[in-house]
Amino acid sequence: MPAREPLPEHVTTPLLTVLTQNSLDEDYQHAADERERQGGGPPSSRGVAAVVVALFGILIVTAAVQTSRNAATDEAGRAELVGQINTRRAEVADRERSISSMRAENTRLSGTLDELAVDERAARNRTDELGAGTGFRPVEGEGVRLRVDDSPDGNKDGRVRDEDLAVLVDGLWAAGAEAVSVNGQRLTNVSPIRNVGEAIHIKSVPLRAPYTVLAVGNRNTMQARFGDSVSGIAWASLVNSFGFEFSMTNADSLQLPGSQTPTLRSAERAPEGPDKEVGQ
Amino acid sequence: MIAVLGLLAGIVLGLIFKPDVPLGFEPYLPIAVVAALDAVFGALRAFLDGIFDDKVFVVSFFSNVVIAASIVFLGDKLGVGAQLSTGVIVVLGIRIFTNVAMIRRHIFHA
Repeated sequence: MPAREPLPEHVTTPLLTVLTQNSLDEDYQHAADERERQGGGPPSSRGVAAVVVALFGILIVTAAVQTSRNAATDEAGRAELVGQINTRRAEVADRERSISSMRAENTRLSGTLDELAVDERAARNRTDELGAGTGFRPVEGEGVRLRVDDSPDGNKDGRVRDEDLAVLVDGLWAAGAEAVSVNGQRLTNVSPIRNVGEAIHIKSVPLRAPYTVLAVGNRNTMQARFGDSVSGIAWASLVNSFGFEFSMTNADSLQLPGSQTPTLRSAERAPEGPDKEVGQ
Repeated sequence: MIAVLGLLAGIVLGLIFKPDVPLGFEPYLPIAVVAALDAVFGALRAFLDGIFDDKVFVVSFFSNVVIAASIVFLGDKLGVGAQLSTGVIVVLGIRIFTNVAMIRRHIFHA
């Protein structure tokens, strides 16, 4: 390996040192040396230099003016941004407050909802009970099946009339019937049995003989209690007097339809049920 | 003396007219000022050294300004404008400091 020449100075010198040493443009020295070689003489006039220095002054002032002008704009923009930030921050705080209040409200409402669900379930149970008891809900169970028909001799007096059926139904209620239907028409607290012309109507639905009366109740006792009740005795005498066809049998499983829920037009629920009758 | 008068005249003119810099040149103005400052201090030092030359000053002044501005412009185009301005300012700053130190030595002999 041949011995290498030492590297030139401008390569080995650290950058900062080079910067410091060459801080003066070498051209000045160069020009001065040149002048000296040509026989000296003072440097040319300074007019151009003065113009350039004036240019430098303009440059500095322009930059300063520009910066201060920009500073005012920047400051305004900054203040505007700070204002916006504060506004938004207040907004965020507001929203957060409303979130937490809504969350509390939500918790409260869901508690209420739970309570209401419990209430609703209780109310539905009660409705079911009431519907079964008042005849607006289908029911099934053991009971008795009754069959009633006009007198076979065709006598006009031998026709079953509304009041006869009403006596029969009264007897069944008295015997502990819990649900009664006649020819598929469930009897409710607001269903009348009445004659229109010669046909019997229940809730304005015409029925024709023979009449099948289904009564849900305790079948062990109903027949006996019916026979013992006042209406049962009256019914027995009606059967005897007019010669109706009548049979009563126990049934294991009776299915009674529900009546349509009545539309209450005049009756309104009183806010607090009056204890006694009040008339105006 | 005449140079100081020129500087004062320039400052007064600038204050009177307040020339508006086109928006495109605005980012390069500070760098141009620093470069010009370097040229001016170099000239002052050369003057005190007794080797001042008009032509060299004018050429160095304009070339300094143009080169500094174009380096920053190039940096802007490459996306490193801020870093290149920092580099230019560091170099020019070192030169200014050194020149000012030499000027101080001339004036105060210290």
